[in-house]
Amino acid sequence: IEKTSGVPPSLLPRYRSPGSNSASWSCLDGSKSIPWSAVNDDYCDCPDGSDEPGTGACPNGTSYCRNEGHIGSLIPSTRVGDGLCEPECCDGSDERPGLCLNVCKEVGEAYQKQQEAERKVRRTGSKIRSLYIAHAQKEKKRLESQIAAAEAEITVREKEVARLKDLADTTESLSEAAIQHKKESPLYKSLIEHSLALKSLQREYKKHLEREKALGDILDALRLGYNPNYQDMAVLEAVRGWEALAGLPHINDVRKEEGSTEDEGAVAEQQEETLGEGEWSAAKLDKELDSLLKSDYETLLIEHDKHLGAPAGGSLLFNLTAYIPDVFLPQYLAFRNTLVSWLETFGIAKGINDDSADTSAARKTYQDAEKALQSAQKDLDKAQNELERLYEPEWYGSEGEWKKLDGTCLSKDAGEYTYEICLFGEAKQKPNKGGSFQSLGKFTHWNNAPGVEPGSPEYYTKQYYERGSKCWNGPMRSVTVLTSCGTENVLLTVAEPEKCEYHITMTSPALCLPLDDSEAHRDEL
Amino acid sequence: VKSQDFKTCAQAAFCRRGRALSARAQESQAWKSPYSVDPSSVAVSPEQASFVAAVKSSLYPNIKFSLDVRVHDDGVVRVRMDEVDGLRKRYDEAASWALTAEPTISPDVKWAVSKKDVRATYGAKNDIEVVVSYDPLTVILYRGGKAQVVLNGRGLLHMEHFRTKATGEEKAPVDAPADDSQVVMQVNNRAWFEGEEEDGFWEEKFGSWTDSKPKGPESLSIDINFPNHGHVYGIPQHATRLDLPTTTGENAHFSDPYRLYNADVFEYLADSPMSLYGSIPFMHAHSAESTVAIFNAVGSETWIDVGHPSATSTETHWISESGILDVFIMPGPTPADVFAQYTRLTGTPALPAHWALAYHQCRWNYISSDDVRDVQRRFDAEDMPVDVFWLDIEYAEEHKYFIWDKKTFPDPVDMMHDVEAIGRKMVVIIDPHLKRTDDYPVYKEAKELGVLVKSPGGENNYEGWCWSGSSAWIDFFNPSSWDWWKSLFITEQGDKWSWTESTVDTYIWNDMNEPSIFNGPEISMPRDNVHHGGWEHRDIHNINGVLLHNLTSQALMSRTDPPRRPFVLTRSFYAGSQRFGAMWTGDNLGTWEHMAVGVKMVLVNNIGGFSFAGSDVGGFFGNPEPEMLVRWYGVGIFSPFFRAHAHIDTKRREPYLLDEPYKSILRSLLRLRYSLLPVWYTAFRETSVTGLPVLRPHWVVFPKDEGGFSLDDQYFLGSSGLLVKPITDKGVTETSIYLPEDQVYYDYYSYEAYRGASKGKNVTVPAALDRVPFLVRGGSIVPTRERPRRSSMLMKRDPFTLRVALDTSGAAAGELYLDDGETFSHRDGKFIWRKFVASKQHKDLRIKSVDLAAQRPGEAVDGVALSNYNGANDFAKDIATVRVERVVVFGLSTKPKSVQVGGKELYWEYTPGVASDTKKQGTASVLVIKDPGVGVSSDWEIAVQV
Repeated sequence: IEKTSGVPPSLLPRYRSPGSNSASWSCLDGSKSIPWSAVNDDYCDCPDGSDEPGTGACPNGTSYCRNEGHIGSLIPSTRVGDGLCEPECCDGSDERPGLCLNVCKEVGEAYQKQQEAERKVRRTGSKIRSLYIAHAQKEKKRLESQIAAAEAEITVREKEVARLKDLADTTESLSEAAIQHKKESPLYKSLIEHSLALKSLQREYKKHLEREKALGDILDALRLGYNPNYQDMAVLEAVRGWEALAGLPHINDVRKEEGSTEDEGAVAEQQEETLGEGEWSAAKLDKELDSLLKSDYETLLIEHDKHLGAPAGGSLLFNLTAYIPDVFLPQYLAFRNTLVSWLETFGIAKGINDDSADTSAARKTYQDAEKALQSAQKDLDKAQNELERLYEPEWYGSEGEWKKLDGTCLSKDAGEYTYEICLFGEAKQKPNKGGSFQSLGKFTHWNNAPGVEPGSPEYYTKQYYERGSKCWNGPMRSVTVLTSCGTENVLLTVAEPEKCEYHITMTSPALCLPLDDSEAHRDEL
Repeated sequence: VKSQDFKTCAQAAFCRRGRALSARAQESQAWKSPYSVDPSSVAVSPEQASFVAAVKSSLYPNIKFSLDVRVHDDGVVRVRMDEVDGLRKRYDEAASWALTAEPTISPDVKWAVSKKDVRATYGAKNDIEVVVSYDPLTVILYRGGKAQVVLNGRGLLHMEHFRTKATGEEKAPVDAPADDSQVVMQVNNRAWFEGEEEDGFWEEKFGSWTDSKPKGPESLSIDINFPNHGHVYGIPQHATRLDLPTTTGENAHFSDPYRLYNADVFEYLADSPMSLYGSIPFMHAHSAESTVAIFNAVGSETWIDVGHPSATSTETHWISESGILDVFIMPGPTPADVFAQYTRLTGTPALPAHWALAYHQCRWNYISSDDVRDVQRRFDAEDMPVDVFWLDIEYAEEHKYFIWDKKTFPDPVDMMHDVEAIGRKMVVIIDPHLKRTDDYPVYKEAKELGVLVKSPGGENNYEGWCWSGSSAWIDFFNPSSWDWWKSLFITEQGDKWSWTESTVDTYIWNDMNEPSIFNGPEISMPRDNVHHGGWEHRDIHNINGVLLHNLTSQALMSRTDPPRRPFVLTRSFYAGSQRFGAMWTGDNLGTWEHMAVGVKMVLVNNIGGFSFAGSDVGGFFGNPEPEMLVRWYGVGIFSPFFRAHAHIDTKRREPYLLDEPYKSILRSLLRLRYSLLPVWYTAFRETSVTGLPVLRPHWVVFPKDEGGFSLDDQYFLGSSGLLVKPITDKGVTETSIYLPEDQVYYDYYSYEAYRGASKGKNVTVPAALDRVPFLVRGGSIVPTRERPRRSSMLMKRDPFTLRVALDTSGAAAGELYLDDGETFSHRDGKFIWRKFVASKQHKDLRIKSVDLAAQRPGEAVDGVALSNYNGANDFAKDIATVRVERVVVFGLSTKPKSVQVGGKELYWEYTPGVASDTKKQGTASVLVIKDPGVGVSSDWEIAVQV
């Protein structure tokens, strides 16, 4: 075997004969001197493996195949002389002579063909990608003008809010003492307490409803999907218990009678409840409780006072207006105000609160205006956020090439389930036989593996969707989307290599970088 | 573990009765076995060492039993007892499934009949005596006048005879006298022995299951004592120590007896007498003076109490649910003798295919053919060796075994060819339960052939629940199933359905063969189910698993002509299973405790005759942290069967997925296993011929060294001289290794020389995470292959390194066996078997290679005794160019003056250090001889001139 066998061209100068076989030669790392005869003698002398580039003697060395007619390549020494013809060594130089044919011509041609095909995809893909970039530029303009408009609107609204707040404050300060007094009423306090209690109850009730639904979903999923083979009779009992509670037939019977069209839900008997007098039905609760709780209790308080006052006529003094002929009215009012102020001064009468309705109205107008301002602010924030993300490498790419795909939903039918990914949104798994979908998580980040630069092409080859619904006996579902350049946005394969951790492969033109000059040139040849 | 899923002794009526019998015997002052031999009935065979006699029970004078005692030509004593002319027939076929052939009865040993006993004296020194006493019936084996094994010495022998339920004679004594009180007396006459009540005679409930017990009580109890042996080992499979802890007596370690009832125990305990997946009713009893053993050939559920009345004696009590008494007594007197005696009965382990000793990568589940290709690609990218990829149950559509799920495995044969292209194999799971659907040809054919297990009554096919949902079970006790099962594995299209979507490099994993049945009692089959011949499942339960294993291995052999060595992994096993492939310790947990007990369980299996054993590396359940996983690989590379496996709920943990430094450590551990494959293969050759286990606990190698009798966390690898102590604890940096003799041991990594002492000595050895503590015993020559390859197949032509570890006298020796690793051509003489010897000649050291095969052709290979050996056989010619590339000598006393082969000076390097023949500690001197230019299969001699 030649001394330079397996030496890459760049290292050939280091493998020059030192003159004679017994003269010494230095291992490439300089750690040891060995006789020249020990180079490529099928015995590992150098700790770095550099004395055996052409044999498999060193466990840590590499060997170079020239592959004339194709591209040279470096393979681990562990593959030299193992009896297998390495595909990377199309010239067959990794094995003893005669074992492997030189197939570099064919390999080279096939490689060229494949490269050409890849370039073709990239050429087409990168054209689409440039459209995406153009889209991002348009988006940028649109967002910028949207932001400018929103900012102008906000300035106007801020002024309006300030004016209305002032108005409401003034109105309220006039009557606050009076209202405060009325609020001391035990009835009002009790009402507020009831209302709070009701609200709290409603909150708890909703929580329980959600919880019940979640539990039901989990149990449904368990019932439909449980593997009876976890050898866990406890699971079987849980399924049977749920079926009894929900009035469902046993799933094994359902499975046995495949094709039977019996609607499972219909089996459940809805038990009629008898309502006490005046008690609300579940439906009414559902529909009307919210509006009841939205009542303006201050207004009610005032209305209540009016209601109490009406049959008794109230104090004669305060209700004379009703009896006084219109012509005398102005004088009467002037008199009354004077008198009342006297009476008030002497602590005999309380202030008149006819204007409290005005107060809440003013407050409401102010509040509405503030809401409108907040919403405008929100729109502005959103637009600004979008603008920021547009060229953010950690979002839509440094050229904004992914913006076009924001919200694009792709799906793949994988037999039992259809998988859907709304890019930058949520990934879902939908059973093809019907039933509720599972969230596989929401977009969280690109490929953040150590050593991968945000903005590099590799960075965009992986998208992560995380924190989906939790798996029975497993983690929260998540998806890794493995993307490569392609002329279409399409999901190719779905796999679940670990429980509830999905790998979905996808192609997208957004990953098709334009060919650089040398690549493009090769195409023209 | 869900302990409530499995019976305790108190929950099994016959065990309850057996233990109660033992308790009554303990309490009674005047206990005497009711069983006796009728002296007038003794009939000695004139030709052979066998006699038969009638046995009576004083409790039931009308019930007849027969006794049959034989001495085999190797000195093993077989004692059989059965009920004669009873209402029914007891199951008497257990031994026929375990034994390779009907043993030859000695034509020389003579029984001498006297008035009170029958006795025979034999043995090379004429020091063995077997005495069968008449009244009470006892069988005692003596050596040199000392009792070794005593049957029924405590009078616990009881064979419950068949009776009729309603009019049982217990209630209507024959010749009942008129006086009522005497009737009561008569009943009481039996109660002293049998107890007052019919405890669980006719029906038994456990959980929601009822065992209909149509045959009634038929249990068998026998006490077997070793009055002069303080240690007992064996009776796999239990998760506990090698030196069996006690179950009776004061401070018993366990309160329940050891149970043998093959069961699928979910998340089993790491220290328990509970039964597990397999049963080998084979027990060694050991003392510094001798080793004896017994094999109790029973197939039904069996409980074994173990006690030490003193530190130097052992009592055991065996309680079985049904079957005849069929006990083999192995007289020893050395552990090697016992292994030879046991393997003459049940067979030696088959010599595995060479690749099967390499690394196996498994997971539940590699989910698609592309997944398999990707795993292979990543191993290769990391240059980590692996030989076998495994597929668990998810490859099969709806768990219909053989039937690929084409959604995920659209191209199974192409996938296998891609794996085989790198010299690798695939193992695919085939379980014994069949999905009950007629579009599944395997079920349909089994049903039509009538080879399914029947439910109680024997009319209908039994239906149970397993992976495939509603399932049926093949009854391999039915001979009609045998050829049919074998035909399923034919890879070429024929007239009938067969597995054409497989290759002849596809091998098989038989799981769930206890059998595991999810909705059955104790996750298994109802005992009143009916097998071929009308036998109940209770009669054959522990044998059930071995039949599938046996037939699948035959099926793999019948795929090709000439046949190739099969590989079948089984979870359930019995005595004799070693002939058919490998086993593993089932669904262990990813905990340090399970890692540690896994080492002990594999050792127990090795001394149970079934060497090809391992436990799931990494633990089946759980996500081991990197340190634990690395240590587990350290355990795995020193297990005969080395497979990583993981539950479907676990994170992936293939070695290439770990971060540094763990990944590189795993790579070097894997490479270490591959470099030692010549040692493993040579050890397997030895066990395949002699039955000596591949992993040897101290008491096997040093039977007289008391200090090693209870050691079960370190062991020797075959006869290689490698002493291993895998680390199974967290955060360890060094460990203590016990050296049993006054000899030098060298650290494999650092060449550090450790000195033992004649009374045994503990030495402290480094145990950083990147190394498994293991030493080379002085006096050993260890052949290795040190070029890392992707698979073992690709090492076929790689050169060897010889490590010569000089002993305190400056000598060493070692063996190497090689053949094609795949076929049975070694039985036609196509192999090499070499011995390397290093010896002092004057002051010089001579290292030579001699042809062991030519010296001892008759004991070279398993299955056939060759009369001669041709050194120029096809295999030897094929590897004629394979050389020894390096010889490393530890412990030379001085730097050599020259190292030569055939007068030609070699290139060598010498690093001074400690010499083997001194008492010094420290790093040994190392002589590395480079490329001596000698072939591994030829005779040569290297002269080291000092």
